[in-house]
Amino acid sequence: MNSTAINLIPRVYWTLTAFLFAAVGAMVIFWTPREATMGDVQKIFYVHLPLAIHTFLACFVVFVASVMYVLQRRLWWDDLAGAAAKVAVLFASLVLLTGMVWGRSAWGHWWTWSPRLTFSLILWLLYVVYLMIRPSIESPQKRAMISAVYGVIAFLDVPLVYLSTKLLPDIHPESISLAPPMKMTLLAWFVPMTLLAAGLLIARFRLNRRRSVLERGAEEDLEDDRTEDAAYAGPHLTPAGEIA
Amino acid sequence: MNRAIRHIALLTAKDLRIEARGRQTIGLVTVLAILIVVVLALGLAPAPGASGLTATAILWVAYLFGGVLIFEKTMAVERYDEALAGLLLAPIDRGAIFAAKLIANLVLMFTLALVVTPVAVVLFQFDLSASPGGFVVVMMLSMIGYAAIGTLFAALTSSTRLAGGLLAMLVFPVTLTIILASTRVLYNLFEHQQPVGGSGLAILIAFDVIFLVASWLVFELVLEA
Repeated sequence: MNSTAINLIPRVYWTLTAFLFAAVGAMVIFWTPREATMGDVQKIFYVHLPLAIHTFLACFVVFVASVMYVLQRRLWWDDLAGAAAKVAVLFASLVLLTGMVWGRSAWGHWWTWSPRLTFSLILWLLYVVYLMIRPSIESPQKRAMISAVYGVIAFLDVPLVYLSTKLLPDIHPESISLAPPMKMTLLAWFVPMTLLAAGLLIARFRLNRRRSVLERGAEEDLEDDRTEDAAYAGPHLTPAGEIA
Repeated sequence: MNRAIRHIALLTAKDLRIEARGRQTIGLVTVLAILIVVVLALGLAPAPGASGLTATAILWVAYLFGGVLIFEKTMAVERYDEALAGLLLAPIDRGAIFAAKLIANLVLMFTLALVVTPVAVVLFQFDLSASPGGFVVVMMLSMIGYAAIGTLFAALTSSTRLAGGLLAMLVFPVTLTIILASTRVLYNLFEHQQPVGGSGLAILIAFDVIFLVASWLVFELVLEA
């Protein structure tokens, strides 16, 4: 494939994603019925649940990439973990915000210390810290190692956080029965949301790759970045911004 | 097995001997923890007979900050004169090094708790009489998990420039689980007179087991980095 075709892929991808978001947005506004007790605010739910599930998936990617970094010591994995953590924090923030808007309407408070809210907040904190510590460590290997160990520990902590928040009194809905159009809309929302998450992850990952090549250009090869044999084999950026 | 235990005992004794001779860490940490309790006491202007739940919240703040300093200091000792290189060259299992550091940290944390808890009880007129035993068990279990995480991350961050602040950032969010679980257990104990046990205690034990094993496994890789 020539470079013009490759450059076209992201454009097509993001246009498609935007189009699908518009489509599922229209579904929510025009097609799904108004919920009897909650009214229009209930419609936040179609955004809220897919966001929450993709937050977990992103956290899982951080975990897998962290384990792989610890085992293989390739900065490739660290770049992936860093990208996934960014997506996780973005999505977790949106989960918190949509949840707060919903809660304000359902319970009359922006915030209550109910199990799921507390859980989401702690999850958000865990991964915000992950992002905050990274820039403060200068050596790429050290940064990768500290981030990787933290990524593993944070993910192992997630089920424990979930169980411990269960000790708090709960008012969050446990399971909801949905009318068929509601179910369809919810499922439809997963498609653009998955595209968004994957697209952001890939874009971030490519950016991280380029950055680490620039940072460590004199030490590392893109193809083989094993830290112990860091012979420079000449990665550089072409004028088009591609890594050669 | 016996060999490993002997190594752990030797290394722990070494760390504690350094501390006993210098007394650099424990003095500093205790004064800091008392300061924290006093600041909170002045800020909260507590009513007499504050409940066990308030007690745990206030003590946790003191233990958390004190703990971070302890973990950092016991690991910093190894950075002087390349002591860590010597330790790594010695024919000792890395797991034993972790166990020794963890035990030394725990001894210092328990010492800190022995001083700070009575101070807080006096200043706040805490009423722990409902179940002093339950309070001690829950706090000790929590500290074991906290020390496991702290020991691991201290080894990881000790060679970076901003070790102290970084360590606190790494350890605090992971520790929120223990704080949540232990405060809930103690809340049920002091407010509802429920005996210590059930899911809260199970979570504390699970946390201890998971992070003792995970830290022990990762510690070896961390020291090599």
